[in-house]
Amino acid sequence: MHAGTAGLVDALRAAVGRDACLCRPEELFVYECDGLTMHTGRPAAVVLPSDTAAVQRAVRTCRDFGVPFVPRGAGTGLSGGALAPDGGVVIECSRMNRVLELDPANRIAVVQPGVVNADLSKAAAPHGLYYAPDPSSQQACTIGGNVAENSGGPHTLKYGTTTNHVLALELVLPDGERARLGTRAGPAAGYDLVGAVVGSEGTLGIVTEVTVRLEALPEHVETLLLIFRDVVSACRTVGDVIRSGLTPSALEIVDQRTVAAIEDSVYAAGLPRDAGAVLIVELDGPALALGPQVERIREMARSRGATRVDVARDDAERARFWRARKGAFGAMGRLAPDLYVHDAVVPRTRLPEVLEAVCAIGDRYGLKLSNVFHAGDGNLHPNISFDRRDPDELERVVAAGEEILRVCVEAGGVITGEHGIGTEKRDYMGLLFDDADLDAMRRLRDAFNPDGACNPGKIIPTPRFCAESNPKARGYERVPFE
Amino acid sequence: MKGRAELEALRAALGARAVRAHTPIEVDGVALGVTVAPADADSLSAALQALSQRRLAAVVRGGGTRLGFGNPPRRADVLLSTERLTGIDVLDAEDGVAQVWAGTPVAALREATRARGWELALDPPGEGSTLGGTLASAATGPRSLGFGPPRDSVLGLSVVLASGTRTRCGGRVVKNVTGYDLAKLYTGSFGTLGVISRAWLRLRPRPERELVLRAPARGLAKTLERGVAWARRPGVRALAIVDAELAARVDPGSRGAEEGLVLIELAGDAPVVERDAERLARELRAEATSERALERVREVQGSTPRPSGMRVRVSALASRLAAALEPLARVGAQLLVYPGQGLVYGFVPLASANDAAAARAALRESARAGDGTGCIEDAPSWAKHGDDVFGASGPELALMRSIKRRFDPEGVLNPGRFAGGL
Repeated sequence: MHAGTAGLVDALRAAVGRDACLCRPEELFVYECDGLTMHTGRPAAVVLPSDTAAVQRAVRTCRDFGVPFVPRGAGTGLSGGALAPDGGVVIECSRMNRVLELDPANRIAVVQPGVVNADLSKAAAPHGLYYAPDPSSQQACTIGGNVAENSGGPHTLKYGTTTNHVLALELVLPDGERARLGTRAGPAAGYDLVGAVVGSEGTLGIVTEVTVRLEALPEHVETLLLIFRDVVSACRTVGDVIRSGLTPSALEIVDQRTVAAIEDSVYAAGLPRDAGAVLIVELDGPALALGPQVERIREMARSRGATRVDVARDDAERARFWRARKGAFGAMGRLAPDLYVHDAVVPRTRLPEVLEAVCAIGDRYGLKLSNVFHAGDGNLHPNISFDRRDPDELERVVAAGEEILRVCVEAGGVITGEHGIGTEKRDYMGLLFDDADLDAMRRLRDAFNPDGACNPGKIIPTPRFCAESNPKARGYERVPFE
Repeated sequence: MKGRAELEALRAALGARAVRAHTPIEVDGVALGVTVAPADADSLSAALQALSQRRLAAVVRGGGTRLGFGNPPRRADVLLSTERLTGIDVLDAEDGVAQVWAGTPVAALREATRARGWELALDPPGEGSTLGGTLASAATGPRSLGFGPPRDSVLGLSVVLASGTRTRCGGRVVKNVTGYDLAKLYTGSFGTLGVISRAWLRLRPRPERELVLRAPARGLAKTLERGVAWARRPGVRALAIVDAELAARVDPGSRGAEEGLVLIELAGDAPVVERDAERLARELRAEATSERALERVREVQGSTPRPSGMRVRVSALASRLAAALEPLARVGAQLLVYPGQGLVYGFVPLASANDAAAARAALRESARAGDGTGCIEDAPSWAKHGDDVFGASGPELALMRSIKRRFDPEGVLNPGRFAGGL
């Protein structure tokens, strides 16, 4: 153990190479937050290892100096999971971006954590295969980050989230040792450690290799764009579809406020500006089955008062429909400098009343709140446009966010469906779990990460902050770590 | 149980109804004559607290269908049964989710969900299998091809830890990353970390049409490649290949099964099922048979040769299945293969310790050839011979021990029975 952190940067340079270590303030500036801009931290250094051994050396160097370290993928996370504590070290896996193996016979790919999600599907496409989880950030986000957050996406309704697609992992443990979990032929003997690590937000170690299952590209795809007068009718249609036994690959709703923002932006998709809500339904499977399924959905939508039902005639039109969904976050950039993408889940049958309550909360706090969400999973994304330089508005954003979570939990839901807890929702864990539940989680974390050096301050509230339940009281500029 | 006094003390603590003395049941060489059967979660919590205070060890039991699956207990004093923890609290036919007590028989739960238009995505072998036992042992049957593994059905769990502490994880919604995914850790942990008392399950829509077909196999190895290809088609919910001997049990009186039999279940929209049935008739000479044939596959999968035999399971890469079969065939195993899941079940009759040693060696060789893993699901204690029935554990066993130590420091729950003696 070194007396201070004076030689830290030199030691990190020795560990990973001079060109793989960032330490100047202007270099570190972009690492002060991830996609959640409300929380910031100032790392002492960022390292960019090229292989597992370099990750191990970086971890051991951090341990020598007694500084915490945080794994980071592309930094697109929305809950502060990749946020470094002041003086900590960020271990970014972006240079570990090779697809190591494609095994079409067994429908498996072995990749380094820095491979971009969309690039994996591109690499698999010549074999008629693809990687199913498709977070909205898939053009930028990495498989390692997806593993950390158990990322979802529009098509998880049918295909499941990251956890359903990961077979095996290589992990650098918080003590610098290397572990292999799972096998490419399925679970290894003993506890399902792969299942425990996926979604653990980088707190159990640093994933350095991921073995995933690939899926066959679907035989046929149909995409419908349904326009409703109001969002409640769109939600009820989603309920009808779920109850009918159909399993679309995606059921996505874009509300009126978002439609307006999209049509004002470069993402304009030709939606009627007065549309109360847009529901996108995607079906895949054998062509023989899809024709009748499209008709059933058309009927359900009509009986709920849909004013327009369009079926994509070709891939170009399909892309246009999806632009209305995928461009939503970009379009929000026109409304305000900051966007808070909230994330919560409710039972699908409760969507209509929860959504009304969520909008009412936004209105009551005088905020620009709109909704784009994975309706088929009951996964809400209330988006709040704001300016973090306005302390009063920031305070209202935080307060409204908390109220939204309470409404969702009261409806039988949970406080995050795919973004994770991170620092953002750590102190709201008590809304769902009691001390005994959290203690069980702590036991798992401690088995991997006993001293908390690896990604500290995430997921589990410290008793100190449990007691201090009002997040406003402690301010939001600096996030305290354990 | 250490003595009469202990039994009386447990009765005093938990009530006479919850503690029952009976003819001993043997679990891997240890005779257990006392069953603790709590009636609700509080009573389960009290029972575990009482056991851990008295430093008694429990073998956790659901339907008792997989009690033979495990290493010999390091210690065992009582059976802890979930038999009274039964019932369906919620079956939400709008949302397709259910909350169910662990001791509920899977068969009853399957019927209840079907009656409401949904499908329970679990099909463990063994009549009397309970929900809790199925989740704890991650038990799967032929339909796991379409259903996925049990962990995919679990949305949330109520678990009582060894200390008696009641905990919950997950929730009732179909998408959730709120905190560590402890449900994954408990599912398949063979009751060594906690006792599942209740579960939130995700149900599947019932398909419009289901159809079971049978087709002659032309030798197991030769049929594998086509089996893998067919198993990957959407709408194929189960695909099993059995050798000639098992074919007679699966589809008695069947013709053309001299070199084995393929059973395929199609499930989905009627036009697709009909189209696929026609294709299968052309390509594999498949013809319709009854659903009973698939049930018999499940029965075979959960059986062990009598009077004495070993049931092994190998998980292999699809491309290595043929190689994985060979060593097992050489020791005279009857074989059942689920090519889509990469699973091979071998049933080896045993007459001597030599037979058992040969079967264990064949299992290891098969797992290696399949680039996968192997385990002994059932065998008499003498035939296990101190080998780890879950196969060799790697360096990650240290992590698993560290988890076990934190969840069950006193070693109350199934000590020694799981992989690596966890």
